Amino acid sequence: MQLVKELCATLDKMVNDQFDSIEFKKFFAVPLTLERGRFYVVQSALYTSNRRDCWGYVQGASPLEVKRVIWEHESDELINDPRAGMDHYALTVKQGEVIGLKPEDFEKAEVPSMVRACFYAWHHIAMHNHWLTAYTSSHMLERRNNGKIVSGGGMSYRVGKKFENEIGINLKRMISLDVHVVADTEHSENISEMFERYVKTSEDCDLVLKGAQESMAIDRAYRGALGYYMEQIK
Amino acid sequence: MGVERNGLEGLWEELVRLCNDQFSSPSFKRLLSTKISNERAQQYSIQMVYYVQNRRDCWGYVQGSAPLEIKKLIWEHEQDELIGRKSEGKMDHITLAVKEGEVFGLTAEAFERTPRLEGGEVCFSAWIRLAQRSWLEAIAASAILEMRNSSELIKGGSLSYRISETFQRDLGIPMKKQINNAEHVVMDVEHAHLLMRVSRQYATGESQRQAILRGAKESLLIDRVYRDHLADMLAALP
Repeated sequence: MQLVKELCATLDKMVNDQFDSIEFKKFFAVPLTLERGRFYVVQSALYTSNRRDCWGYVQGASPLEVKRVIWEHESDELINDPRAGMDHYALTVKQGEVIGLKPEDFEKAEVPSMVRACFYAWHHIAMHNHWLTAYTSSHMLERRNNGKIVSGGGMSYRVGKKFENEIGINLKRMISLDVHVVADTEHSENISEMFERYVKTSEDCDLVLKGAQESMAIDRAYRGALGYYMEQIK
Repeated sequence: MGVERNGLEGLWEELVRLCNDQFSSPSFKRLLSTKISNERAQQYSIQMVYYVQNRRDCWGYVQGSAPLEIKKLIWEHEQDELIGRKSEGKMDHITLAVKEGEVFGLTAEAFERTPRLEGGEVCFSAWIRLAQRSWLEAIAASAILEMRNSSELIKGGSLSYRISETFQRDLGIPMKKQINNAEHVVMDVEHAHLLMRVSRQYATGESQRQAILRGAKESLLIDRVYRDHLADMLAALP
């Protein structure tokens, strides 16, 4: 019990530290314009697709009980989130309407090279590691979005506020960001419960920490890449 | 070959032919001709739970690599297998398999304390490797095992049907009491169509059709090896 408590405290510190990284600071420092906002929303849909890939791989590798938890998790993401009345990819596409995006903009979107490298890196962790490492890698991205854990708000909340403050679109109208403020809090708590069941030794902790460290490193690279590409849009 | 000549139709015919041919292979013939004692039925039943678990592993990987709309199909497929449909009184297929074990005198603990068959372990790893290949190969590798279990497609009955017939013949246990076998006789008829749905949309060129065939053939090869290991296991039991 103490082992898991200390482990979770470490994970909490890691997700908070993300926001002090140079990559995250740079990303948040890029002033938002409507064009940059469009780029970001399209990229969010691609990110969501990558999450679906990785959670599928993690489901494949996990013990049966964990598979069931992930399957339930994917119900919101892939099929229908009752908070939104649609799946999370459709939600992101719908959100795009607010800033003038059409479904075709998402269909024809290309994954920029630095982003592609990050997506492949997340795939690699999800597919070729011990399940605890793979599981934690995906979980950490939701933990980093959990406003109960991250002081000052999770990623979706902060990006939503950026849209509000810099291009005047209220967070409530950014429906995907708004839903994720709540959804990822619940998801990260449900998923986190599995640590209580399966982390029993210091070796288990090491597997969890490996997934957390690697995923957070990729996450920093990903946000750094988004910041870079957004800055190119004049 | 038929696949090149007739496109999608040829592909489907070839897949159905491959599934039917499984039953003419020495390993399938050997397994299905083995006389079943209660002890053999118990061990077979336990190993089937591990097989079902491996299917869940593989379908997870396939869900990971498939396009978004196919992910959704697989997610729904996994509801029957992994979760069940409580509103319809249907339990998940692993619980179902353990429950079926009661008919052979097995307790839940017997499933927990009996290890996987060594040869089974190797086959399970091979199937996982296949599940991590390109998504069309991977989905074909998993879906073909359900086609091979569809009595609609297999002349003389699917594998679950034939096994349940053996249990009925040798142990006098009627099929309706073999709740896991009975469920799969029905469910895999429905699930067998998944690959056709995917093929209609994605097997648009020869390279895609060949990828599907490659995945299916390799999976059926593993399937034959696996059934051979099961036949060895049964033969070693009284």
